[in-house]
Amino acid sequence: MVHPLELERATKRFGGFTAVNGLSMTVSEGSIVGFLGPNGAGKSTSLRMALGVMAPDDGEARLFGKPPRLETLRRVGFLPEERGLYKKMSPRATIAYFARLKGMSAKAAFTRADELLERAGLGGFARAKISKLSKGMAQKVQILSTLAHEPDLLILDEPFSGLDPVNQAALEELIVEQHKRGATILFSTHVMEHAERLCSSIVMVARGRKVFDGTLEEAYGVLGQAARLAVTGGFDLGAALPPAGFVATREETVDSDGQQWWRVTLSQGQDAQQALRAAIEAGAPIAGFLPELARLREVFVSLVGDAEAEDLRRTLEQGRTEKNHA
Amino acid sequence: MRNIYLIARRDYLGYVTSWGFWLGLLLTPLILAAFILAPSLIENNQPVRYYTVIDSNGAFASQLADRLESRRESDVERQLFQLAVEAPEGFDPQSIPRFREAIAAGADVETALEQAKPGLVVSVPERSYQFIPPPAQTEAGLAPYLLGNESIGETGARRLFAALIVNPDTGEVTYLSDDVVNDGLKSAARWAIEDEVRAKVLGAAGLDPADVQAAVDAAPRIIERKVGEGGEVRQVTMADQAPYIAAVAIAFLLWFLIFSVVNYLLSGTIEERSNKIFDTLLTSAKLTQLLTGKLAAVFVLSLTLMSFWVVGGVLVAQVAGGGMPASAAQFLSAFGNVLIQPGILIPTLLSFVLGYLMFGAIFLALGSLCESVQEAQTLMSPLLIILMVPLLFFSMAITDPKSPILAGLSWFPLFTPFLLILRLPNGLPLPEVAGLIGAMALTTVIILWAAMRVYRAGAVHGAGVDSVGRWFKGLVGGGSRKGSG
Repeated sequence: MVHPLELERATKRFGGFTAVNGLSMTVSEGSIVGFLGPNGAGKSTSLRMALGVMAPDDGEARLFGKPPRLETLRRVGFLPEERGLYKKMSPRATIAYFARLKGMSAKAAFTRADELLERAGLGGFARAKISKLSKGMAQKVQILSTLAHEPDLLILDEPFSGLDPVNQAALEELIVEQHKRGATILFSTHVMEHAERLCSSIVMVARGRKVFDGTLEEAYGVLGQAARLAVTGGFDLGAALPPAGFVATREETVDSDGQQWWRVTLSQGQDAQQALRAAIEAGAPIAGFLPELARLREVFVSLVGDAEAEDLRRTLEQGRTEKNHA
Repeated sequence: MRNIYLIARRDYLGYVTSWGFWLGLLLTPLILAAFILAPSLIENNQPVRYYTVIDSNGAFASQLADRLESRRESDVERQLFQLAVEAPEGFDPQSIPRFREAIAAGADVETALEQAKPGLVVSVPERSYQFIPPPAQTEAGLAPYLLGNESIGETGARRLFAALIVNPDTGEVTYLSDDVVNDGLKSAARWAIEDEVRAKVLGAAGLDPADVQAAVDAAPRIIERKVGEGGEVRQVTMADQAPYIAAVAIAFLLWFLIFSVVNYLLSGTIEERSNKIFDTLLTSAKLTQLLTGKLAAVFVLSLTLMSFWVVGGVLVAQVAGGGMPASAAQFLSAFGNVLIQPGILIPTLLSFVLGYLMFGAIFLALGSLCESVQEAQTLMSPLLIILMVPLLFFSMAITDPKSPILAGLSWFPLFTPFLLILRLPNGLPLPEVAGLIGAMALTTVIILWAAMRVYRAGAVHGAGVDSVGRWFKGLVGGGSRKGSG
């Protein structure tokens, strides 16, 4: 099956530094994929390899099943992390210019530019110099330039950075709109909330290596979930739940009205509703119920933190080995 | 091709819609014209300088006045000879002797010319220095007039330029002036003293100085003739000098164009780097398309400039054509004939294209490494020095076109575009022309290849001025450490 984007064991080194280390990832058609990682994790380098801006030292990149060449790149819209435009050009000319470079005819490109600018509320600035626009307006122009040619694959590198909350929300809407149009979307970010709201699947990288690749649900499952139950009358959930396969731990604090909170750890395949049902069936007088879902941020911190710790351990080990050899 | 066209078009429109382009377009010919015409304009529009002579017997004052007037006479005489050579059909050969006779009879230049032949088109130079009677007799007394504190004459605020005081005992002349730079009057005074000494020596030998002068005037002239390609011998005219002057003009134009337009490449690339446009561009066009488009844009820009200047020059020449001296028209015609000779036209065009590509690619590569013009200056300095070197040899191309230094330096590929053009009027053998063009073409290919790599390092890997510094350190230190680019 041909996927819009594939990286296969892609590696990129800069001198002695390995920016991306054997990264494999696939972006399926019609998906919105979040590419997550801390600053310096190798996200931009991976995207640049995928787009053919730089060639991988090892492994390979494919767009729509082919090496990234101009023909395939015409189906791609790319918003780079480091953004900029020709300041003396007008928004209209800019959008049309990049659309024409992607293969649109002059007439279609200008018509599309007018239409996009109008919809984005920039119709009045269509012929102004970009240097006269505000930063937010200029960013909008760049985003419009990225999707003017209606690409099948949109790759957005840190698209939300530098945008105020209102424009971030507007961009989220735009991404959803493009997805509805049929575009496959891959965007990198280190702001988890955007990924949680938009993505069907995510890829996490840290220190140039992939640490997670899967759906959002799978990501949440990494940390395990829990449910909090409040009972009255001194009911002992710790003794009542194990027969149903749940482990409950008493929390230290007791509410002023005498309610005791218990934390039920959920393992793979269990969910909070099942825990509640088991407690009721065990005759527990339930006074409160709070399903506790892991947030992507916690998953991210956990995975990336583990990767960073592992990296640090390897570095120290390597240092010790070199010292011993010396 | 489409992407190259789009990139070139965008860059070109970006350049021509900037104020800088129009300023350069309009001001450049004006500045060049000012440079060319300034010396003669200054000379012709010099206000008359007033001088005085304090000489008890008056002989020196008279000698000096004659000497100053003789410059104007020589100038007119030179023009009459030129007319005799270049427009013999309408020229009366007796005009020159008649002019000399009138001068010898004591007529001033204007009257002598009128007596020689009425209606001759000769430009008579204005008098630069005008004698006035001494307003004071001592140095102290003359000082206020020389400083302009006191005015000489009755009309307007006239300042005394210089005073020459002759010592009656020794004959020594003191030249007194506030202006220590202009030495026209001073050298005329020196000649006048020598004239006087010569007259005394001739008189002591029983010879009349006027007879000696008449003999000098009647001395046979040197007639310059040239052997042509086919062995024919003919009179040397200004048209023979045209190829050399044309070569210098073309080489200078090429140098000036390269110097003017490659800066656009540099600043355009710096803008793209500093505005972070490279990644967007590189996912829309190939690196080769990007480079080709940019070079094409600036090439067309230089053609635009040249077209404007040439068309403007032709229009100005046509408008001014009526008042143009025959010699100038003849020279321009010869200049045009030089340009259409295939032996000059083809190597010139190739030099222009290859020279432009070489320097354009270098500036493009440098621009991709720099975030700002200030940063670029660090890298540009050595290149600018290289660009300046050929300029030093432009005058040599006229005075000593067959110089072995010129010939040797023309084999240095970065100088070849300019120096080859300078050497073309010498009738270079075809193998040498082909060799020079071949070496230049090979160097151009190497530079384009290297520029592509540097551009990639700058645009894709973010290599900068620091990377160049590290590379040089590695080179000097013999290291082979690989940079991040």
